[in-house]
Amino acid sequence: MNHRLNLGHDNPCRPRHFRPGRAVNASPEGPAKAALELSHTRLLIAGALFMLAFAVIAGRLIEVAGFKSGDLRTAHARQAGPSHVARADIVDRNGVLLATTLDTSSLFAVPKQVPNKGIAAVQLASVLPETNANELYARLSSDKGFVWLARQLSPQQKMAVIQLGIPGLEFQTEGKRVYPKGSLAAHVLGFAGLDNSGLAGIERGLDDSLKSGDAPVQLSIDVRLQYILKSELARQIADFNALGGTGIIMDVRSGEVLALVSLPDFDPNNPGSAKPEDLFDRATLGIYEVGSLFKIFTTAMALDDGVSTFASRYDATKPLEVAGYTIHDDDPQKRWLTVPEIFMYSSNIGEARMAADAGTDRQRDFLDRLGLLRQPSFELPEVASPLMPHPWRPINTMTIAFGHGISVSPLQVASAASAVANGGILYPATILKRPDGAAPQGQRVMSAATSLEMRKLLRLVVEQGTGKLANAPGYLVGGKTGTAEKVENGGYARHALVSSFLGVFPINDPRYLVLALLDEPHIGAKAGGATGGLTAAPAVRRIVERMAPLVGIQPVDENSPEIRRSLVVGLPPQGRTLAAN
Amino acid sequence: MIRLTTILWTLAVMIAGYAMFQVKYEVGRLEDRLTQLNHDIAAARDENRVLNAEWSLLSDPQRLDRLNQTFLHLSPVGAAQISSIDHIPFRPGSAPTPMLAKAAP
Repeated sequence: MNHRLNLGHDNPCRPRHFRPGRAVNASPEGPAKAALELSHTRLLIAGALFMLAFAVIAGRLIEVAGFKSGDLRTAHARQAGPSHVARADIVDRNGVLLATTLDTSSLFAVPKQVPNKGIAAVQLASVLPETNANELYARLSSDKGFVWLARQLSPQQKMAVIQLGIPGLEFQTEGKRVYPKGSLAAHVLGFAGLDNSGLAGIERGLDDSLKSGDAPVQLSIDVRLQYILKSELARQIADFNALGGTGIIMDVRSGEVLALVSLPDFDPNNPGSAKPEDLFDRATLGIYEVGSLFKIFTTAMALDDGVSTFASRYDATKPLEVAGYTIHDDDPQKRWLTVPEIFMYSSNIGEARMAADAGTDRQRDFLDRLGLLRQPSFELPEVASPLMPHPWRPINTMTIAFGHGISVSPLQVASAASAVANGGILYPATILKRPDGAAPQGQRVMSAATSLEMRKLLRLVVEQGTGKLANAPGYLVGGKTGTAEKVENGGYARHALVSSFLGVFPINDPRYLVLALLDEPHIGAKAGGATGGLTAAPAVRRIVERMAPLVGIQPVDENSPEIRRSLVVGLPPQGRTLAAN
Repeated sequence: MIRLTTILWTLAVMIAGYAMFQVKYEVGRLEDRLTQLNHDIAAARDENRVLNAEWSLLSDPQRLDRLNQTFLHLSPVGAAQISSIDHIPFRPGSAPTPMLAKAAP
């Protein structure tokens, strides 16, 4: 290289002071002089290269010391920063873990490197019970460069495979979604697939934030209440031989869902073995004609619009014939009834007349305001749209008054009834915990006075009406029963009921709403008589009794004068009513 | 003079070289330690996740209820078992009057 760089005397790059001195120049001549010149040039070039190298090092040193120091310091610190997980945890409102991701090892093979595939397959099948030797052999014999043999092994299985010492087998660490509470909140949580994407429930609804964030997602669910609701519903389903059931506990002051159960359910740790009906979320995706529960909304509408007052009377002496239909009462009183009596005895005739008085437009407006006519916004992806008549004829108005001819989800009913009970403000239902102290954004849907009147009526139903079995002493439960015949082939099926009870407590200052709904309950072998008041109301009573101490509701003396005064409804004396007939 | 300067520089170079290697080895040791600590933190985190999951599994209300029915037979608190301190009357014999009498004069 130096030969090429030897440019001789005329090298313009050569600095002047390197020009050979006179004495040196004087003595050697000829070849000696040429050799000296050559070595000078070489020295010069080598020196320049060293200078360049030192300059680079010096530059780098300044850079590192002066500018890059921050980066160097964080390079190691980053490893100890917040650990990134493939999928964020899900916790309940008290921080109890509901879903987490644990590292598991998955076994794969490079088939070319596995020497004796037959023996390897048999040995593997002996330590991995869920695999089968023939299938393993088929996979090992494939000419692919990479085949999965078993996903998500337990530590014991991993050790067993390592001890087999088969070459060509390797492990890949994978995150496995684990639901420690099993089926407890199955429909709320949903489940995630092997590739870490949410496939149902909140896992799907909040898939993006679960994938991106490390901070756990906090639900409004309380596992204790979830368990109370689930166990009591399961007991009722077993006792009354029902197809299934659903229940919701809601905080009426914020719209937070504290518990949401749909039975039958499934284990999210093993969703593959669930039947389609197990996966179906009856609370949000199921829509039902909820029957008399709708009388809450009809009565609230009539009172709020000033169409009726507590003193208004309606003729319930005989079944009502409208447009070829006959509207009956389940428990006919056969007299004129006041609004509280209509509500207490759950009179279809009275409610139908009340709705007819108010008119179709008022009814539709009011139900729409309560969010019963549109798909609710909710964090779970499994949310149904209500089913309502088109066109909305006067006969529809009268049947919808007592909850027939319109199908809504239990979630919608719970939200709307919360608004009726809480003073008239509708809060959108949510499954996520609202931050402490954050006032939820609500919308006034009726006057506070109407809400107070409705609370008195709800209490009346439990004290003297169809919901007596829901009366949890001391906790002032107010509520309404609902019994509807299921729609089947365009008509109503007498043998298939949807029986429900919606309770709110304590009714003098409502905090919690409990909704229980049973699908096709039977008494003995018969469906007849398996009303909401008989099947769902006792469940609500037990749920209230069990949850009240947990949520810090003090029992009160129901007969104390101030409570009686605040909830009393002036019922006309029976004698006068009879005289009016 | 020149010789003294040379000796001083040689000495300085030797000290600098020694110090540099000392620092280098110290950094190496610290880096090993840091790597180890980071590894330990990661391992502890993983273990923590597993323990959290196990705790959640063991405190599952469905399991606790099953255990209760097998071993303890506890039943939920009823409304009749809850009262306020105001509702508890003083025992007739031990009214707080003697204390008041002592405090009065």
